[in-house]
Amino acid sequence: MDLTPSADQRDLRAGVRDFLAGRWTPDRLRAASASPSGSAAGSAGLDPDDWKALGELGVFALGLPEERGGAGLGLVDAAIVFEELGRALVPGPLTATFLAAGLVPGADDGTSAVTALDLGDPTLVAEHLGSSAQVVLVDDGLWLLPADALAAVPLDAPLDPLTPVWRVTDPPEGGRLIGTGADAERWRTRAAVLTSALQVGVAQGALDLAVRYAKERVQFGRAVGSFQAVKHLLAESLARVDLARAATWTAALAVDGPADRPADGGAAEAVSSAKVLADDAAAANGRCCVQVHGGMGFTWEVAAHLYLKRAWLLETCWGGADEHARRLAATL
Amino acid sequence: MDLRLNDAELAFRDRLRDWLAGVLPELPPAPDRDDWPARRRYDTAWQRRLFDAGYAGVDWPAEHGGLGASPTEQLIFLEETARARAPYVGANFVGLLHAGPTLIVEGTDEQRARHLPRILRGEEVWCQGFSEPDAGSDLASLRTSAVRDGDEYVINGRKVWTSHAEVADFCELLVRTDPEAPRHKGITWLILPMDTPGVQVRPLRTVVGSSEFSELILDDVRVPAANRVGEENDGWRVAMVTFSFERGTAFIGDVVESGNILRETVAIARATPARGGGTLWDDAALRRDAGRLAAEVNGLWALIRKNVSEASAGMVPVQGASVFKLRFTESRQRIADLASHVLGRAALTLEEHVVEDRVNTLSFTIAAGTSQIQRNILAERALGLPKEPRWT
Ligand SMILES: Cc1cc2nc3c(=O)[nH]c(=O)nc-3n(C[C@H](O)[C@H](O)[C@H](O)COP(=O)(O)OP(=O)(O)OC[C@H]3O[C@@H](n4cnc5c(N)ncnc54)[C@H](O)[C@@H]3O)c2cc1C
Repeated sequence: MDLTPSADQRDLRAGVRDFLAGRWTPDRLRAASASPSGSAAGSAGLDPDDWKALGELGVFALGLPEERGGAGLGLVDAAIVFEELGRALVPGPLTATFLAAGLVPGADDGTSAVTALDLGDPTLVAEHLGSSAQVVLVDDGLWLLPADALAAVPLDAPLDPLTPVWRVTDPPEGGRLIGTGADAERWRTRAAVLTSALQVGVAQGALDLAVRYAKERVQFGRAVGSFQAVKHLLAESLARVDLARAATWTAALAVDGPADRPADGGAAEAVSSAKVLADDAAAANGRCCVQVHGGMGFTWEVAAHLYLKRAWLLETCWGGADEHARRLAATL
Repeated sequence: MDLRLNDAELAFRDRLRDWLAGVLPELPPAPDRDDWPARRRYDTAWQRRLFDAGYAGVDWPAEHGGLGASPTEQLIFLEETARARAPYVGANFVGLLHAGPTLIVEGTDEQRARHLPRILRGEEVWCQGFSEPDAGSDLASLRTSAVRDGDEYVINGRKVWTSHAEVADFCELLVRTDPEAPRHKGITWLILPMDTPGVQVRPLRTVVGSSEFSELILDDVRVPAANRVGEENDGWRVAMVTFSFERGTAFIGDVVESGNILRETVAIARATPARGGGTLWDDAALRRDAGRLAAEVNGLWALIRKNVSEASAGMVPVQGASVFKLRFTESRQRIADLASHVLGRAALTLEEHVVEDRVNTLSFTIAAGTSQIQRNILAERALGLPKEPRWT
């Protein structure tokens, strides 16, 4: 049993972090999210070069076997990479494209972005439809549809300025069957783990930003981070992200392999637990980040809101915390 | 990363399971909560059984009579014994988890020879005399004095919240030997035999109605200088060694208990008719709350595995231990609340296990470093925020 990252995993994290730090600088994020009222279709389209670069880095293919151009890595390695993507607030249909690698041509190397639609959700809203070539419909099987074949209208003023969204107007029909019911289940499970990993990253990024500000901002003649009321908010944020990360790693490992986990439950419980804890960590840490910034936290200028809004977006993906909590309850 | 146990660990687990399955049915019923002599007998008899089976001092090094088990084996031991509902470490807590390990690191050969085998065999019960009426979170402000007189120390002062004091043979005692020195520099760690003249134990009644802890009145108590552990005035450092054993694994059994209480609660909800028909479990809000707590318990298991893995890799999981203490204690209280809410007006007696638990767990966020102190530790040590005002 070992729940500490190996040397390879630490290198993987560092490599992705360095790459993203060079590309997704605070200025770049600010510029990309510049227009609060921009419509989805108009603004914030993905830059194909960014997507390509992620593909070249191996982000989407890392789970594929080596003979198919991948790195043969496990879901827990993907979770480490996705945590970094979340921490850097990288926009795009990351989870869907990762899961489409090997199923949809062009997904693995970042030539095309692939989005997904969870038909189990009563409200059908697709992310990044305008920048995606294909949509994977996840129902009691997997279907592939060209993105422009989906009847959908862009929503104005998307909540997360870096994630344009489209409301689907007519139930999607047709498409090419690319996976069975079991594949669809597999997709949902893995998507929930990867979304949890993104949320852990969002939670960590929000905490880092808040801690930096708390050390710099001076009031009453001292750094606001010396006030216990502020310190304890941040300590709670740290506790949330630590717990969520451990739970997400555990879920990723449990999904990937048989484990003699002496603890209760199997993979499904581990996944639902991770999603509950990661959604909570991301949203609460985002809120904490805004609060610790005071009035600055309420400005578009400071990135605090971007973490919180991303958290609010991701918590709607692949089962919200309440739904996962009810699933867990059913196992008790 | 890997969740699997290796072959040796699996063998360790299976052997332990077999042994537990054989021995647990033979145990006498657990004694009454307030019958301390009986509790001591019960807890030490269990320790003796562990010793005879080779399971005493799982985390102690083999050269000191322990099992020298790896952190993962310790986890398996604590988890499996709790799952099988074996007796808790109880009155042996301080000896096995604090005093013994401290003597192993800091004691003299005589002190080790005198105490370690007896702690392992369940022949010696210890208590912890650290806190004082005016020194709790701010432990370094302790005032109980020890004045050197020939080859003895003469001790005067008061200790408080001393768990198991009524039945303890020895006390790990922190005293002030140099009142002039800076606070952390004038403290000494002593072994106090509880039958020394001048030691008076006054049980304090807890909110559960029991007498889990006591006040110690120390009035001209004479202790041989040979009972000093570490150098004179170096006791703060020794105490930090003592505390370092408190981190991490002490609560594993309690996490098992959290899961048990949650499942018991659900079973009760499923069986309890609701107003207007159906059962309490038909309430979606209750199911959501229970599910969220289940997620929390699973998260705590994940965190335990991460902390244990870090310990195996030779790291000291200080941050992980504080995160765990903080989240575990608070979720434990929420689980107890949920259980009591399900019982409704049946929860109006302490005879009900979950109700006693609800009251008892109030202490979890206070003892062994309050939640506020844990947050200070996380904010300062892990996040590097400016330090709290402190004595120098
Ligand atoms: C069930 C139980 C068993 C115990 N057993 C033992 C034992 O066997 N031996 C022993 O020596 N001790 C024992 N203790 C004592 C325990 O260690 C202390 O209660 C604990 O350290 C807190 O100290 P205090 O009670 O004096 O509270 P205080 O330190 O007076 O704290 C009062 C309140 O102020 C807060 N506070 C204090 N300082 C700060 C700060 N710097 N920042 C923010 N908030 C702060 C605390 O969080 C708390 O809410 C036991 C306690 C309990 C409840």
